[in-house]
Amino acid sequence: MTGTAHSTGDRAAGQPAALPARAEVVVRIEKLSKSFDGRLVLDDVHLEVGRSRIVSIIGQSGGGKTTLLRCVNLLERPDHGLLTVAGEPIFSGDRVVCRDLARLRQTVGMVFQRFNLFPHLTAVENVSLAQLRAGVPERQALERSVQLLRRVGLAHRGTAYPEQMSGGEQQRVAIARALALKPAVLLFDEPTSSLDPESTGEVLHVMRELADDGMTMILVTHELPFARDVSDWVVFVDGGRIVEEGKPADVLVRPSELRTRAFLTSYAADH
Amino acid sequence: MGWFQVPWSDYTPALLEGLRRTVGYTVVSFAGAAVLGLVLALLRLSPMRVLRIPATVYTEVFKNVPLLAIIFLTYFGLASAGIRLGVFEAGCASLVIFYAAYLSETFRAAISGVHGGQQEAAEALGLGRVSTFAYVIFPQALRLALPGTNTMLVDLLKSTSLLVTISAAELMTQGRLITSATFRALEVYVVIAAVYFALCYPLSQSLLWLERRIRSGVPLSPRRRRRLKIATELLAEKGAPV
Repeated sequence: MTGTAHSTGDRAAGQPAALPARAEVVVRIEKLSKSFDGRLVLDDVHLEVGRSRIVSIIGQSGGGKTTLLRCVNLLERPDHGLLTVAGEPIFSGDRVVCRDLARLRQTVGMVFQRFNLFPHLTAVENVSLAQLRAGVPERQALERSVQLLRRVGLAHRGTAYPEQMSGGEQQRVAIARALALKPAVLLFDEPTSSLDPESTGEVLHVMRELADDGMTMILVTHELPFARDVSDWVVFVDGGRIVEEGKPADVLVRPSELRTRAFLTSYAADH
Repeated sequence: MGWFQVPWSDYTPALLEGLRRTVGYTVVSFAGAAVLGLVLALLRLSPMRVLRIPATVYTEVFKNVPLLAIIFLTYFGLASAGIRLGVFEAGCASLVIFYAAYLSETFRAAISGVHGGQQEAAEALGLGRVSTFAYVIFPQALRLALPGTNTMLVDLLKSTSLLVTISAAELMTQGRLITSATFRALEVYVVIAAVYFALCYPLSQSLLWLERRIRSGVPLSPRRRRRLKIATELLAEKGAPV
């Protein structure tokens, strides 16, 4: 299957299941491990994400979801494993093998839980900054930034500063900013966790449009209904390991693992 | 008999020369102190102990030594060791050494005060270390550092008066010379104090105005103004589908 995630549990000899030849793998993670102060937070994780696929990572807080996501653009450096992005090895064994970290990060857009917009810049400047620093001519960078702000429905807020915008607006600007350098994959780290229900709806609407446009995305999310609707593959992470993965209808509706069932029961009780 | 008996018109050239010197000491010393203070702040934030410790020692030493002692050390002390600095060089060096220690504390606190998420966001966008500092961290730190830095600038201007002890020809020295010639200490020093006030008050008010402008997001550089003008025009156009 294209755009799938594979854990050690569903393949032989601990190797990721091979994707069909037509599937271009954008992100490949093999045997990835990471620890903080001797505490293992990622343990032998395997994941493959094909082009235009959407993988949702779910699980309890502290389970390793965000760390896994942050390893993809090396905001967290893994201890061990193999990591390739858009066909280029970026981490192998226990060292970074990517020659140009800045270019890698331009290939992997990231949207943070707390937006992390630059407060001293207007929305349009937030979106254009990385383009300008990457050498895109000013007018071209501004035109693309305006287009992206239109895409997320915020052209009318282009000259507003982050503090003048609602949480939902800020997160939509953050999405536009992450798209500015035409990334091969977009990472979302709980993009709606800091938002009220109305703002959450606005952000999910934009993400759904991106999904419809064929954007490759990896989401860490607590929005299980959204994950079920848009994802091609759902990964349940607990204790630093991929406990269960599969199609949304399987993992979120008919989970086979006890821990997944317990998580979903707990989620249902809270919502 | 009037209160003003000093023939001020005779001393106007001396006062103007003192004013010029005072402004000269202030501008050169503040620029030097700001640069050295920023370097010290960055060294103190370095993860490398070999860089951090000397910067910390420097800051702690010169924060806790009186400026007058530094002036004497620089001008008289170094001369006795064979290093003879001119009055201007010694005066500026003293002010730079002293105020860099304080400014480094202000800058360090300001840089630390920028949320860690900002660095991450810049890194995630592929900005290099220099670009991250120049376009993300520094502008935000500058806003946080402005009130303390502005206070230091006004304080430094007033502290140039201590250079009277090495006859630096600034305002206070001119006042002392006029007093020696006229024996009208009260009148002379009231006038000198008024000149300092006339320098410092507009300066501090201008800096407050600048601070408010920067906080309100008004673009100060011509490049940024032009960029926002282009963006505003593009935003006003009817959008083509993406």
